Amino acid sequence: MARSRRSRRSRRPRLTIVLLVLASITIITLDYRGDLRGTISGLRRVAHDAFSPVQNAVGDVVHPIGSFLAGAVHAGSIEQQNAKLRAENARLRRQSLAAGAQAGTLHTLQQLESLPWAAAVPSLSSIRTVAAEVVALNSSDFADTVQLDVGRNLGVDVGMPVVAGNGLVGRVIDAWSSGCTVRLVTDPGSSVGVRYGQPPGYALVDGSGVGRALAVHYIAPGTALTKGEILTTSGLQDALFPPDVPLARITSYSSTPSSTEESVTAEPLADLAALQYVDVMLWEPGT
Amino acid sequence: MSTVDVARTSLVIFFVLVVQHSLLDAVRLSGAHPDAVLLMAAAAGYVGGPERGATVGFFTGLAADLLLPTTFGLTALVGCLVAYAVGTATSGLVRDSRPLAVLALTAGTVAGLVGYAVLEAVLGLAGAISVDLAPALVVATPAAAILALPVLWLVRWSVPPMVPPAAAAHPGGLGR
Repeated sequence: MARSRRSRRSRRPRLTIVLLVLASITIITLDYRGDLRGTISGLRRVAHDAFSPVQNAVGDVVHPIGSFLAGAVHAGSIEQQNAKLRAENARLRRQSLAAGAQAGTLHTLQQLESLPWAAAVPSLSSIRTVAAEVVALNSSDFADTVQLDVGRNLGVDVGMPVVAGNGLVGRVIDAWSSGCTVRLVTDPGSSVGVRYGQPPGYALVDGSGVGRALAVHYIAPGTALTKGEILTTSGLQDALFPPDVPLARITSYSSTPSSTEESVTAEPLADLAALQYVDVMLWEPGT
Repeated sequence: MSTVDVARTSLVIFFVLVVQHSLLDAVRLSGAHPDAVLLMAAAAGYVGGPERGATVGFFTGLAADLLLPTTFGLTALVGCLVAYAVGTATSGLVRDSRPLAVLALTAGTVAGLVGYAVLEAVLGLAGAISVDLAPALVVATPAAAILALPVLWLVRWSVPPMVPPAAAAHPGGLGR
């Protein structure tokens, strides 16, 4: 009797874990297949709406602590940076820049106000944009994303492209009333169809992770390329991005006699490591 | 678990998520930051045992998934497995030892990150193992060791401790 009670008790944790694992796998499968995308994105929106005010309030209070801890982690590189900054500071003093940091911010915002490359492309100049500030960096170690301070309140929605002064930054993957999450073009899950050269060739640019070069696929071996050549979004039918948005600059290319495609790497034109202000293009795929 | 325990656990999960997103996300090295969510799951397994731990780990992961841009349910799966593994591995051990607690929680967090990367790779994100895992481990391992005791203290406040197997087998006491 006691043995059977003990055996039942020892089986219970196993039953619990089996049920929990099955529940998790079911949720993952439904999300992966897209069957529950609407429900899950609705739940995420509600969670973000509820959580964001608390996160922002606490973030304002603990930001100095976070900065201190972040500084402690980067102590070595900060010392080097300090030396460089001291030299830079002396140079700046000599030049007596009156405007200082505010001029830089103003310049960035002015660039966003009239994106130089967008004005030259009729199809882009008609797309409305919303200026946004980056308020948080990636919340997962396995995704390269940023959070912006604009959301559905201002018309921002899932799928909209995000650009900075120099080019494409990424795409909105989640949006709630006062914010959104943007998957950067360097994220391993990001793929952008691009156009290059004249007559135009088409390729696919995949992200390879934070700080790594972008991988350019489907360029035939022996294709005439040049270092520094600009890749722009292709805008082919059903594309995720509007056409002609500058994305990256080719940094290297090579091929071997047996290779089936040119091995090409590129670097994003936008400075993704120092993103502060960006524009969300109010453009949805398929429009 | 009583209603009070559930309320306390929910509060602790909320607190851990706030700390994660407001403070720990800012501590970044090569794109990686400390992970308090998996640490919380490991602590739940250590304190509550495999069954309670797995349940708390599952719901902690599910709550975290609501705020993450990755596949929904992945953290819940890893959370319950980590808690179950830590709970099972330490169920026969003396739980007053601080070094043991730090070791168990850190090992649980590391195992969770590896499991997470493997699952991400299975779901088609090849760079999860080759690119993201190493920096994640470099940052999360020492951070887990540092944060283990505070997180354990929080979890002890909310999750009822596991009944030792011997006491469960002899509800009337070992002396009878």
